[in-house]
Amino acid sequence: MHKLRNTPGDTEADLKAQIEAFAGNGKIYVLGLGNTDRADDGAGVLVAEALKKHFPRYSYSEHDGVEGTVLDLSEKDEELTVFFVDAANLKMSPGTIRMVMKEEIKDTEITTHRVAVALMASILKRAGKKSAVICIQPKAIEFQGRVSDPVKSAIDILVKAFLQSIKSRR
Amino acid sequence: MRELNVEALARVEGDGGITVTLDGNKVKSVTLDVHEGPRLIEQLVKGMKPEDDLTVIPRICAICTLSHRYCALRGLEKALGIMPPEKTQLTRELMMLGENVESNSLHTFLLALPDFLGYPSAIAMLNDYADDVKRALRLKKFGNHVMAVTSGRIVHGENPIIGGFGKYPSKKALEEIKLKSHELIPDAARDVELFASLEYPTYPEAETVFMSVNAPNKQYGYAGDTILISNGKEVKAEDYKKLTSERVVTHSFAKRSLYQDKPFTVGANARLINMGKRLDGQAGDLFKQHYSDRWLKNPLLNNLAQTIEMLWSLEHMPDIVDQIAGLDDPAIVQPTRLTGSGTGAVEAPRGTLYHHYDVKDGLIETADIITPTAQNLDDIEKHMKLTAERMLADDKKDEEIKLVLEMVARAYDPCISCATHLVTLKRI
Repeated sequence: MHKLRNTPGDTEADLKAQIEAFAGNGKIYVLGLGNTDRADDGAGVLVAEALKKHFPRYSYSEHDGVEGTVLDLSEKDEELTVFFVDAANLKMSPGTIRMVMKEEIKDTEITTHRVAVALMASILKRAGKKSAVICIQPKAIEFQGRVSDPVKSAIDILVKAFLQSIKSRR
Repeated sequence: MRELNVEALARVEGDGGITVTLDGNKVKSVTLDVHEGPRLIEQLVKGMKPEDDLTVIPRICAICTLSHRYCALRGLEKALGIMPPEKTQLTRELMMLGENVESNSLHTFLLALPDFLGYPSAIAMLNDYADDVKRALRLKKFGNHVMAVTSGRIVHGENPIIGGFGKYPSKKALEEIKLKSHELIPDAARDVELFASLEYPTYPEAETVFMSVNAPNKQYGYAGDTILISNGKEVKAEDYKKLTSERVVTHSFAKRSLYQDKPFTVGANARLINMGKRLDGQAGDLFKQHYSDRWLKNPLLNNLAQTIEMLWSLEHMPDIVDQIAGLDDPAIVQPTRLTGSGTGAVEAPRGTLYHHYDVKDGLIETADIITPTAQNLDDIEKHMKLTAERMLADDKKDEEIKLVLEMVARAYDPCISCATHLVTLKRI
């Protein structure tokens, strides 16, 4: 698990540098996961939706269909990295951001309702594409709750970092 | 006394487990334990307007979201005296075809197939079966697309409303569905052949009763006003309580169902057993080719049934699309009364789903929902018990027994969290 941001703390410049270091020279795509009905759990979707306003070709959310998006990206004839963004219980301060590699993801999480991120990452890897999961520590995930301030701040900083990274290499 | 436990049953939706209690080499009991907490949705919608119920009810399940919505629509429209126009009915039919493809592709390939091929998960299968996994994901993606076009979005679409649709799919969107469904038919036919070539263990085999809706006009389909039973009887959907006779058990948060004091099966195999002769096209041919008396006994064949059904859904889409495209958008039909009762019955991918509503003065007075998994639970336990007994008699190792028990449970494509809102808490 790679440190991307502690909270309170690091700037989007640090975040951008680390995202770009992982992505190398290829294009950057973002796929936001989560449930926006459950407060901070929707952080990944909120990141993706914010990015979509500027770069709709490079940003997708769970609402666009995870499997279809990954299949399409895996078949693109270009060097690319997919960053899945999701809320995850890192047992750290709310708003903390970490990057988790494919090898660190549990591979038994396929259910009727959700296909595993690990499967999606494996499909991308077989197609020669890179992927990682960017995890945001939630504070609250109650039904119909509001997104907490530390997670709002994490979303903002992540969106700014991605905007710069996507813009520089699209 | 010892126990064989599958504490957290993987590759099913929700939180459940299997417990086999053994006395020496004798099986004392086999239980499918449902740990999910009750969700009390039926209580939640009491006093709501029917249109608000439609927003809440599909939250029962994110994968059969449209089955729940359609079933609620059928029940509520009957209660309100609404007869939906032809274009509305056809567009609803199309959305159900999409959901069927989406759900069946996921279940058969990513949840069930790894067991048959000896892998712990679909991820592990990727090295040797990447094309098959990707084919399944492509089908799932298309199913999701059809759901989004008809209902407004992939999950919990709000477009199907009482008396019609907020907006009907455009001709361009319909044409794309028609072209893509044609394109995917060969993939789905390959899936049938793959599942027909699998070896299905005989351990769970036992006679049972199969129930499904009777689709109208002697056609195959996913909704109807009467229920077909494999013993030759046919019952009105309104009489669903006579078919399900629900009861509570101590080891599970889901209610159980029995028909004439015996377990029964709902699902794709039940639909094909009751209506398979109505299938046309390649799906009809493959059904005739692969159907045998084993279907009446072996729940594992539900996996093969789901692939045949998925093929039929794809083959049926172009025809439905043509019919929809030929009709003008109708006005939304308004209620003719504000007090009444109605029962909806539809075929969710995993079996018959009932929604019953009593509406009084425009507000919901009672709601009763019976999900397919809740109906199947007794049948699952029956087949698992036989499996455990027979495998023990054959001196099979514990790990082998556990695997086949999991395969039996998974074959029913259970949706455990759907099933768990059915417990009523009574305080005396």
